[in-house]
Amino acid sequence: MTLVSPDSGPGAPPASRPGAGAASDLLGSRQRFARRFFAKRAVIPASLIVLAVLVAGIFAPWLAPYDPLDQSLLDTMQGPSWEHWLGTDDLGRDVLSRLIFGARIVLIAVAQAMTVAVVIGVPIGLFIGYMGGWWDRIVMRVVEAVISVPGIMVVIVIITVLGTGLTKAMIALGLLFSTAFLRLARGLVIAEREELYVRAARVVGAGTGRIVRKQILPNIAAPLIVQFTLTTAAVLLAEAGLSFLGLAVQPPDASWGTMLTTASRFINLHPWLALPPGIAIALVVLAVNLLGDAIRDSIGRGVGETATLRPAARDFSAAGTGADGAPASQRERTGVPSDAALVISSLDVQFPSPRGVPLTVVSDVSLHVRPGETLGLVGESGCGKSVTAMAVLGLVPEPGAATAEAILVGGQDVAAMSRRDLQHIRGTQAAAIFQDPTTSLNPAFRIGDQLSEILRIKRGMTRKASRRRAVELLEMVGIPDAAARARAFPHELSGGMAQRVAIARALSCEPKLLIADEPTTALDVTVQAEVLALLRDLQRELGMGMLFITHDLAVVADICDRAAVMYAGEIVEEAEVTELFANPRHPYTEGLLGAVPQAAHRGTALRAIPGVVPQPGEWPTGCRFAPRCPYSTTQCTAAPVEIDVQHAHQARCVRAAELTLDGAE
Amino acid sequence: MLKLAAQRLVALVPLLFIVSLLTFSITDLLPGNPAELIVGDDATQEQVDLVHERLGLDQPWPQRYWDWLTNALGGDLGTSFFNSVEVTDAVLLRLPVTLSLTLAAVVVALFIGIGAGLIAALRPGGWTDRAATAGATVGQALPNFWLALILAVVFAVKIRWFPATGYTPLTESPGAWLRSITLPAIALGVGAAAILARQTRSAMVGVLQTDYVRAARAQGLSARRVVLKHALKNAMLPVVTVLAFQVTVLLGGAIIVEQVFAVNGLGSLAVTAVRRQDVPLVQGVVIISVIVVVLVQLATDLLYGYLNPKARPS
Ligand code: SF4
Repeated sequence: MTLVSPDSGPGAPPASRPGAGAASDLLGSRQRFARRFFAKRAVIPASLIVLAVLVAGIFAPWLAPYDPLDQSLLDTMQGPSWEHWLGTDDLGRDVLSRLIFGARIVLIAVAQAMTVAVVIGVPIGLFIGYMGGWWDRIVMRVVEAVISVPGIMVVIVIITVLGTGLTKAMIALGLLFSTAFLRLARGLVIAEREELYVRAARVVGAGTGRIVRKQILPNIAAPLIVQFTLTTAAVLLAEAGLSFLGLAVQPPDASWGTMLTTASRFINLHPWLALPPGIAIALVVLAVNLLGDAIRDSIGRGVGETATLRPAARDFSAAGTGADGAPASQRERTGVPSDAALVISSLDVQFPSPRGVPLTVVSDVSLHVRPGETLGLVGESGCGKSVTAMAVLGLVPEPGAATAEAILVGGQDVAAMSRRDLQHIRGTQAAAIFQDPTTSLNPAFRIGDQLSEILRIKRGMTRKASRRRAVELLEMVGIPDAAARARAFPHELSGGMAQRVAIARALSCEPKLLIADEPTTALDVTVQAEVLALLRDLQRELGMGMLFITHDLAVVADICDRAAVMYAGEIVEEAEVTELFANPRHPYTEGLLGAVPQAAHRGTALRAIPGVVPQPGEWPTGCRFAPRCPYSTTQCTAAPVEIDVQHAHQARCVRAAELTLDGAE
Repeated sequence: MLKLAAQRLVALVPLLFIVSLLTFSITDLLPGNPAELIVGDDATQEQVDLVHERLGLDQPWPQRYWDWLTNALGGDLGTSFFNSVEVTDAVLLRLPVTLSLTLAAVVVALFIGIGAGLIAALRPGGWTDRAATAGATVGQALPNFWLALILAVVFAVKIRWFPATGYTPLTESPGAWLRSITLPAIALGVGAAAILARQTRSAMVGVLQTDYVRAARAQGLSARRVVLKHALKNAMLPVVTVLAFQVTVLLGGAIIVEQVFAVNGLGSLAVTAVRRQDVPLVQGVVIISVIVVVLVQLATDLLYGYLNPKARPS
């Protein structure tokens, strides 16, 4: 890091700030903080380094073997020896002693600069944040101006006025860094004020002092500590740099910066001199930075814990696929046509879990889609339907792994394919559209370019031909004035238009299978109907199979020929749509159907079934729906329930034959 | 783009105004009479008064500021307190040196920072990620002038690959210029590289999880193409913002690193000026640096507009 940057810390307040109730649950959060803080590997060595500097600085006269200023012209520039552990400098002074006394300078410098920074920055920040208006505007303008100047320039200006010397230089540094504290305090007060407006009724009559004491100070403490730590590291570096330039500590006084000035003068003769102070500075800055990071990560709402990564999608590894002991009955699927657009047999998807046992999110899913047919894959969010769809393209999110007996796309087994072949299949044989059209188009590129790129790469078209074809595709999906719209960026389109573009992109290479993952969920109801109609028309025209994923049974009734209902990672029922709606054979489907008429709008459709979907890893051994099933008996929970594949209308329920379930009208 | 540039330029005027105001006030904040500073301790009162008048210090403050501002706009930043050197000339003589060092450091920072951040982001939690993160943490803690010393010892004194001191202008000999600038640029750029690496990593990890990256992969584009074209352009957005600030920091850092390599840039000029309280020279260095910073700001704003169509005025 380079000298003097007031922005080295979180200058702006953190986005997710502890709520106003932070003061009350301080105790609990303090324990949580301690647990998280000390869980970090770097914290203990870093604390030890900081402690060492504290001890060395405070007890320097007792710890140092020599007087740091004692010259001995007979033993100049010696290497490490028994008398002088770290050798001597150009005037024969003991390097170790100077290093220890340098620690004292570090403490003084940090204390001075940080006091100035906090004492000036925080109150002014609180004040302008609280007052707002002109106060705020004028002060912030000045702060912005100061920040825009290289930090060292600001310090140089102030030192020009004040003169050189450690304290003066540290006042200058303190003034510079006060801008960081000022902005932090201001941001927090403004956020707090907004919150107070929201809860105005509760705080009527609360005095300013009370608000500051009760609301603002408890919330400001945590980010302030983080800022303080990170600024401390910056001050350390800056002090060394300014002393090195001769603007702060003046020779012959021992500071790590002036020691480096000496070292730089004799660098050709005795390079050793540069090592002890340099390493000392680097280690202490490193330690303080690490502590700052650890504090920041431990404070608040568990930044470290909630930020679970959903890393980039990766290709199938061919090694992880193949047959593995699935029950024989599962393999003998009935009614799978040989020309199917998609056949999935016995797909499992697992994710490694922290506890070591892999977490299964999709288990033994088998389905097929005929050319020109639309299969609905229905279920609540988290049931594994999207992961199933992604497995078809070999894009299960990492670190998940898919294994299947076979995943046939247009007759070719995706599950046993090399990366290269798989990449070739994507787009040309199977393509996908996703839920949120505005985020599935790249915001940085024009839509026409996004289409023509695919055409060039996947179909080897020339630049010119691909452009022309892109416009045709946009016309095909009903984009008005397509030639002009091709130059638009995604953010210039409405959601419905964006989804049309996404459809055009997906169909650009005329795939045999289209995977539509909740393609209308994010759209307005009227637009929804238009997009569904478009999909239906295009499907008829191109004769492709469609795997349509949704949680909305109304949409299923609208567009699908057949439907497979998924629950907790497995398919529980599968049938023609009319049959499924009229005579459901699985109690879960009955629950879903029963919920449809009451649904005021999408999203609430499944509320009528009491209870919640069990998380992966918490699935019951027997029927996974049993805890929520009104017809559950002891036989249901005894052993895993298998789907009755012999039946044209398959269901995974031991009581399917005996129950008479209600369908939809 | 032109419209964006014009908009940005206008927004920067108040900033320059405030900086000029702050910088100008140095004279008045100095303890004591600057005239006494100039003539020295054993001067007579007449001499002091003479200098006082020559500096225009007898004029009221707004008048002085106005004169100074109009002169500055005309390119005249006054003369040094201690010799007859024109401040504008002195600063412009040194500026190319510092600028070329800063620019070279930016190149180093971009190259190492984006490269390391990208590699780290491809496998979050993997060994490359951990190595890059550790490297960035250490890189952030190294004082640039110390790194400069170490690099000088190793690569200039021990193995004589590069000159230990001095600067050759680009116009004189491009090869010698490159050799003279390499070590200072690395020393200066490593800290910024560490910050850019962190930023690139976190932005890239975020972008790689977006729907549009998934959609591009689903469409059968290669991982390399998706990462280097589709994802990178988006991930560079926050990086550009940080870069703008880092250029400012590097410009300041150059002042120190120059000292180690005995490069005569703005650094030695500024340090001498501060020690002697040579106000016009300090003002000149600050004003010119701020103009550079403002231009960099403008350039990064335009770059941001190129990367992010949403930021362009429609
Ligand atoms: S197996 Fe039992 S618990 Fe499961 S759905 Fe059928 S009746 Fe309900």
